[in-house]
Amino acid sequence: MSEVQKKLQALSDGYQKLQGELSTAVEARQKLESQQQENSTVKKEFDLLDDEANIYKQIGPVLLKQDKTEAVMAVNGRLEYIEKEIKRIEGQIKDTQEKSETLKMEIIQMQSAAQQQQEAAAA
Amino acid sequence: MATKQAQPGQIEITSLPVPQLQELKQQLDRELEHLTTSFQSLRTAQSKFSDCMKSIAQGVDPSTAGKPLLVPLTSSLYVPGRLTSSTHVLLDIGTGFFVEKSTGDATDFYKRKVKDLGDSLKDLEQVVNQKANNVRMVEEVIRVKVLSAQESSQKEGRGS
Repeated sequence: MSEVQKKLQALSDGYQKLQGELSTAVEARQKLESQQQENSTVKKEFDLLDDEANIYKQIGPVLLKQDKTEAVMAVNGRLEYIEKEIKRIEGQIKDTQEKSETLKMEIIQMQSAAQQQQEAAAA
Repeated sequence: MATKQAQPGQIEITSLPVPQLQELKQQLDRELEHLTTSFQSLRTAQSKFSDCMKSIAQGVDPSTAGKPLLVPLTSSLYVPGRLTSSTHVLLDIGTGFFVEKSTGDATDFYKRKVKDLGDSLKDLEQVVNQKANNVRMVEEVIRVKVLSAQESSQKEGRGS
């Protein structure tokens, strides 16, 4: 009996760990999404500017003047990177969800098996 | 308002036991709370943009060009200053980029922002209302279930 309990404990620990991983991944995804949102609004704003517009980039406490092409490139690069990251994190989320689902099934199976055993012993 | 008829892929909520319904209600409450906070932060953002517009309209104007002004360094410390330009402003468009714009363009920018936020607010309001409706419905079902459970237990008590 204690053998089964130990195993069950290990499984549920694993399950909890997976749930923790899942929530960090989801959080990371949300953060990326808001960054994507911000960058795409900046990109939209750049699209509306004429090429002569003065654009400054904030680096620490100073503003540095930047070419529009350079700034647009920087934002596009960031958007690309964020998109890739989102895909990566999504894969991670799916993986973790699948893993935790199989683990959950295993736990349920073990629990019901243990219950049946108990009932059989009681009868 | 979601129909009470069970549709394919949907679960009839009246068929769920009370503890599960309570769990569902808690989850819905959490979602509703999250949405309401988002709604409020959108509101704050919108009013900040409106304030920017007002500041431009009142402060940055050819008529104020030569006038001295006080620049707040902290909430209680000011230094005298003078506008270097009464026609152009520098605005933060996000992710560390600043753009120099004429006051008119800047006002347009903020108008656009306020409008976009207003649209998002409208969408979000609908979602919030929908969620609130769902919560009310689940609450109603719980209430009916608890009441009928009480009645039947009372009847049983009388019958025995």
